[in-house]
Amino acid sequence: MQLSPSPEQQDLADAVDRFCLEQVTPERLSAWQRESRGIDATTWAAVARLGWFGLGVPEARGGSGLGLVDVALLLQACARGLVPRAVINAIRASWALARLDPDAPELETLASGARVLALAADEQCAREPRHFATVIEGGGAAHVRGEKWYVANGVSADWHLVAARDGAGLSFAVVAGEATQGQMLRTFDGEEQARVRYAGAPVQRLVGAAGSAEPGLRRLRREATALALAEMVGGMQAALDTTVAYVKEREQFGQKIAVFQAVQHQVADMAIAFTAARHLAWQAITRVAAGSEQGGELETAVAYAGPAFKRITLTAHHLHGGAGFVVEHPLHYHSERAQTLTIRFAPEAPALDSVASALLD
Amino acid sequence: MRYDFTPEQTAWRDEVRAFIRANISPALLDEQREAGNEGRGPLAQEFIVKLRDRGYWGLAWPQEYGGLGRSAIDQWIFVDELEGAGAPMLPLAVTSVAPTIMRIGSESQRKEWLPRIVSTDVDFAVAYSESEAGTDMAALRTRAVLDGDEWIVTGQKMWNTMAHMATHNWVAVRTEPEAPKHKGISMIIVPMDAPGVTVTPIYVWPGLRTNAVFFDNVRVPRDYLIGERGMGFYYAAMALNFERLSIGSVAMIRRYFHELVAVVRELTIDGVPLRQRPWVRERLARLAVDIEAARMIGLETAWALEQGGVPAAQSSMAKVFVSELAQRVADAGTEMLGLNGQLHPEEPAALLFGRMQWIYRLAPMLAFGGGTNEVQRNIIAMLGYGLPRK
Repeated sequence: MQLSPSPEQQDLADAVDRFCLEQVTPERLSAWQRESRGIDATTWAAVARLGWFGLGVPEARGGSGLGLVDVALLLQACARGLVPRAVINAIRASWALARLDPDAPELETLASGARVLALAADEQCAREPRHFATVIEGGGAAHVRGEKWYVANGVSADWHLVAARDGAGLSFAVVAGEATQGQMLRTFDGEEQARVRYAGAPVQRLVGAAGSAEPGLRRLRREATALALAEMVGGMQAALDTTVAYVKEREQFGQKIAVFQAVQHQVADMAIAFTAARHLAWQAITRVAAGSEQGGELETAVAYAGPAFKRITLTAHHLHGGAGFVVEHPLHYHSERAQTLTIRFAPEAPALDSVASALLD
Repeated sequence: MRYDFTPEQTAWRDEVRAFIRANISPALLDEQREAGNEGRGPLAQEFIVKLRDRGYWGLAWPQEYGGLGRSAIDQWIFVDELEGAGAPMLPLAVTSVAPTIMRIGSESQRKEWLPRIVSTDVDFAVAYSESEAGTDMAALRTRAVLDGDEWIVTGQKMWNTMAHMATHNWVAVRTEPEAPKHKGISMIIVPMDAPGVTVTPIYVWPGLRTNAVFFDNVRVPRDYLIGERGMGFYYAAMALNFERLSIGSVAMIRRYFHELVAVVRELTIDGVPLRQRPWVRERLARLAVDIEAARMIGLETAWALEQGGVPAAQSSMAKVFVSELAQRVADAGTEMLGLNGQLHPEEPAALLFGRMQWIYRLAPMLAFGGGTNEVQRNIIAMLGYGLPRK
């Protein structure tokens, strides 16, 4: 049993914290809202120099060759410090491609941050491969035809990794970004997401054998959920920390509001939810990473963490009052992530279904 | 990071499990259920002596007193396994009073009391609360006045559970009436058979017995005041700290929850298996998730202790979470059993021996007892996150 990060892992988290303290200021967060990718080129380059994009990419492809646990720690710290979504989604994509194909030729420029990959799986009304309408057509000169929705970095990406039906099975196809038509979707957390049309986009190559992508997609999604749990923990911690700091400063009725029991008790409930969520999340992340799940860890963590993150951020809003409600205050970024991460990676109802099934069926 | 036990921890868990398999019989569980806390039955007493003979009493004791020197995680494993199996728990004399005497008692006091606890000749009830000193323990008024070589104890203690079975009482008394209220308290041992001690039963909602205990000019030897005069408030806090390792354990609730699940799997009402009802599935799933969350908070407490910290905020989190979870489990359980959920434990037709409605009645005590959940939440905010008292 070892419930805290190793010294090396702590160094990584500390480095991210330092970067965020200097580079991710409330003023910059506001300014980045006006950038099409949600971040300026200089900051992107600074992130690239730190090696975050290649953390999970094999060393032979220019990365650090670290595993899911380390990438999760990186994303936890990024989420805590509100590193722009474009960065987090690019890290997720390079990690995913490295998992599917450690020798992928695209990995080198992804690891260096020079290029960006978008993962395109979800469709307007389908997340399960058997309902996908996007297909790969043709033999020698194959191309992708169809439409993907909610594609992160889907307008600006240099490559798309498209999950498309290919005969009887599912395949992953690499498609050049310039061969796609991406239309920005405005989300409530300001993430760059797109509705992307593939109108006969040429397939540069298939990742893995044709028709065999479904198990890989399922595994990637479990790992993506594990990464989302880490992001959630980072966001919860930020919301709790900023609330603790605020109630110690804010005065009403001639005293700090932190002395009021009604305030203390809400902080205590945030702390309880955070503590339980943190350990449930990391139990799941470490077991998924090691392939040693004993049954239901991921689903249990998902069922707890999403509601906990939402409760914590909403309580944080309550205790901040108007001060935390203005758009200049960064609290709302975490509150948005609480719900968007839940929706995309960690929906509660299927997790509860799965837990119930293990108990009762 | 690693959430799995080390091979040594796994071996320890297996040792405890093997002990449980060999020594917890259905007859013992029946005896436990029927006895409530009216008395420790012969099988329970036998079991506790076996725990002693295996050296398990010394789990939380310092090594110089024959303790096993087991880590905090190992202690957590021990409590989790035993409670999860429905075993009789170690008496407070062993888990709370003895380790306190080891640290604060004089050489002669340690020699007098520890061997008698180990031989089971001495068993302690614990008397802190009074009718006007509950959450505000430092307001206690039971007093002890020195008269030659004896203390004269006068006053009344409330919620003095087990006082009707114990040989001795571990009593917080006011010895320094002029001192500030936290600094005027001492810990004193009162033999239950001393003249002037009267025990009056109090029956509480779940059918358990506790007591009001009256001290009418009770004379005890001067050396029965343990440690230093005026330090009793801090000694009581120390003793409560030792008690804490088991307080926030979710193991008992987890056991009843799984018994409930087993019944739900078999029950058909109105032609529909209960386990197919969507509301039953969702509610049980949420409880299963919360039970695992509670386990994590307990592990965090043990982990903080193992790292050399004082897990005051963490143990308060565990206490709050588990006590409130117990209410949810009991509420869901009684409702799911339908009309049967009303049946009293003594009614033979009661499913689960009426345990669900018994916990329904017990759970409020878990939340207000042992330091109210309001106080626990203040502790979390103040000690865990530095929120100010004033």
